[in-house]
Amino acid sequence: MLKYLVKRIFWMVPLLIGISLISFFIMHLAPGDITTSEASFNPKASEESRQKLRELYSLDKPVIVQYGLWVKRMATLDFGTSFASHQRPVFWQTKDKDGNVTLGMIQEALPITLLINVLSLALIISVALPLGVVSALNQNQLTDRSITLFVFIGFAIPGFWLALMLMYWTGVQHAWLPISGLQSIGHENMNWLAQTTDTLKHLVLPVFISGITGLAGISLFVRNGMLEVLHQDYITTARSKGLSENRVIYGHALRNALLPLITIFGLSIPGLIGGSVIAESIFAIPGMGKLFYDAVLMRDFPVIMGILTIGAVLTLIGNLLADVAYAWADPRVRRGVVQ
Amino acid sequence: MMQIKHNQYQLIKLALSKLVFIALFTPLMITACSDSSSSNQINNKIDYTKSYPPSNGGTLIDAMTGEPSGLIAMIAGESAASAIAGNIFNSLLRYDKNLELTGELVDTWDVSKDQKTITFHLKPNLKWADNQPLTSDDVLFTWQKVTDEKTRTPYGSDFKLVMKAEAPDANTFRVTYAAPYAPALDTWAGLHILPKHLLKDQDINTTAFARNPVGSHYYKLEKWKNGQFLKLTRNENATQGQAKIDNLLSRIIPDKAAQFLELSADNIDSMGLNPIQYARIFPARPDLNKNIALYKELGNSYTYLGFNLKRKPFDDVRVRQAINYAINKQEIIDGVLLGLGEPVASPYKPGTRWSNPELKPYPYDPNKAKALLKAAGYEDHDGDGILDKDGKPFTFEILTNQNKEREMTGVLIQRRLNDIGIKANIRVLEWASFLGRFIKPKEFDVVVLGWSLSLDPDQYSIWHSSQQAPGQFNFISYSNPRVDKLLEAGRLELNPDKRMKIYHEFSKILLEDSPIVFLSAGYGLTAIHKRVRGISNPAPPAGIGHNTYEWYIPSAYARNEMSEH
Repeated sequence: MLKYLVKRIFWMVPLLIGISLISFFIMHLAPGDITTSEASFNPKASEESRQKLRELYSLDKPVIVQYGLWVKRMATLDFGTSFASHQRPVFWQTKDKDGNVTLGMIQEALPITLLINVLSLALIISVALPLGVVSALNQNQLTDRSITLFVFIGFAIPGFWLALMLMYWTGVQHAWLPISGLQSIGHENMNWLAQTTDTLKHLVLPVFISGITGLAGISLFVRNGMLEVLHQDYITTARSKGLSENRVIYGHALRNALLPLITIFGLSIPGLIGGSVIAESIFAIPGMGKLFYDAVLMRDFPVIMGILTIGAVLTLIGNLLADVAYAWADPRVRRGVVQ
Repeated sequence: MMQIKHNQYQLIKLALSKLVFIALFTPLMITACSDSSSSNQINNKIDYTKSYPPSNGGTLIDAMTGEPSGLIAMIAGESAASAIAGNIFNSLLRYDKNLELTGELVDTWDVSKDQKTITFHLKPNLKWADNQPLTSDDVLFTWQKVTDEKTRTPYGSDFKLVMKAEAPDANTFRVTYAAPYAPALDTWAGLHILPKHLLKDQDINTTAFARNPVGSHYYKLEKWKNGQFLKLTRNENATQGQAKIDNLLSRIIPDKAAQFLELSADNIDSMGLNPIQYARIFPARPDLNKNIALYKELGNSYTYLGFNLKRKPFDDVRVRQAINYAINKQEIIDGVLLGLGEPVASPYKPGTRWSNPELKPYPYDPNKAKALLKAAGYEDHDGDGILDKDGKPFTFEILTNQNKEREMTGVLIQRRLNDIGIKANIRVLEWASFLGRFIKPKEFDVVVLGWSLSLDPDQYSIWHSSQQAPGQFNFISYSNPRVDKLLEAGRLELNPDKRMKIYHEFSKILLEDSPIVFLSAGYGLTAIHKRVRGISNPAPPAGIGHNTYEWYIPSAYARNEMSEH
């Protein structure tokens, strides 16, 4: 097992280099750079000044040289500074000689996105799990059909539309919830309880919106896994030895039906750091999705590469964790791994 | 046995479906009960039509779609940065409400006889927000920074024309140009003066000052929450007197629809509207009109159709004029801008001194267009409905970037051209490839784009024949010796009246020559809550924002700061 782990971790290094190389070149295949945005098409900004900027950012050098410079910085875990955001550090905060701390862009955006995604994942699980089980237990009956219909409506409904409708209903018509943003204006003057409530209230809609679209996948997974397991011989055995139906379903069937979910959650780890551009724009949440989208529009290469690299690392770790967790949970896989 | 099993199923089912219901709707219900004091319900009861005398205090909340990258405008460059930084920093000069230059940090300025030297006389006893004196030394320092090779600014070239800059005493700043440079005054109206005492040992490209600035204008930065808001508060040392509103709070809300909802719920006071919101939604919502006032002002840019003059048949002035006559500009204004725009006949704001009042846009006249095309040799010889010359049909491509208004404009033009027998195809591209693959190598027939209605009349970089290299702005390759001469003369003439004549003449030739078709200039549309008073309506040429320091919020209408969302 240990040998397997070491091997897997060792293989992550060439994989990462490959991923970064491909991302770097694809990024540079897109036309334009930081000096060619629409806003800079301004007669007051001369072509010479733009050329000067290109030189200052090393954008005039061949792509392979630029990649070399990037790898050199990455070797010391230096993600660099943003082109577009006044040299803010891409990843983590820096301190200048006067003690002024400048927060990193990912450092600020990541916790917000992570919080929303973890909450919405929790929402998805807590709703999808019972939905899936109920569906499976009532296969092809009205309950099953209506649950399936419900989750597919949630899946198919355009998120931005639902978001705007809910914002209008809960924010404008009734003032139950704040409409957008992450905190109220007077947030810093509140006590901690009011602050927490305030933040939670701001999170209700974004979490709900990102949760509802993810409901369909997980609940159907649970439903189908459950159905498959319920037809297994060991369930018949369990029933025939007189176990109560609760024990059969929750003690034997559900546990086995949940196995494939481990893989799904492992694979959703990188998804946790990728925010949704549309939801973040509509709700005015400064998260990772908006950060990445703006960086792509501005051709802010250090930020794009920073996010892609962190995403790649997390994907690889997620894969590894999923495999390990699977092996831990499923003895069949574990034996296969050892061999 | 079977019966029991079934009952248990039913129970589980019931329990689970309850669980589902609770999980789904609890958050909504909890918050529904907890917040009984709905802000908009309270505000709906307030009568916002009473008049109050000007008073101090209050907070104005507005919304921006983008966040500034920093507040040193020469480096940040984007409009969000200039909007905020413009409340924090002063320039030497400013534009008044009629868009005439006037002093901001300076009392007066003199231009030497040979028009090469400009001497600025600073107002006495100017101070920075941190109580340090603001002197000509700071101005000199700012000039040194903007012209420094190491400074990452795209705006340095105008200031590099200054041969010598000096600060002979604390209140005098003098610049000498190698040759008279008339746009100089405009450039000094756009350069925010930075404090030397805080920046002299800093790298201006990376300094923390950009996020924690000290300026001299009406407001100073109090708080900046990344991605959320910037809060400005009144600067007690302001060089231009005291503004009436205590705090300006700009929330960052990227989505216009979300901004609109915040405005409807009275969580923000002001936002920029699009034509649909202004002309369709507001008239249909009397409840909104009760609390919110709408303002329109001429915007800062115009849309045009530009010909690639290096390509046939656009080198023929008759063809260009024919297309100009064939396009119905009012139709574009009505269809695309929902009537919220004006036709223009020159690249200057109507109503300002640079705009030649005698010039009128080409009227919509398809017959004249056909006659001109006939004179240029275009007739429908083969009877297929498309004009042709030498056996080749008159067909070309209209190129534009991803911009809804420009795409719609292209479609309307396409139809009008089709009416007179010209077949035009439309191609829409993402900006960077539009610029890199088509504009720079001049691989286009016709473009639909926009230029700004600049405050200084100098448009050398757009129209002078020397500005045609790849990446320069005369990408339509316009070349007219008379225009070249006028543009050169206009740069050398600092006397506004003489300069005006030069640019009136230039606009006249430009209209006749028709290297571009002036299509429309859209209005800037703003919604502001009626609690904010002192706004000029109708807007002067400089727009409603020219006197924000005189805006006020009567204390009876001020928000309760703690209950704000």
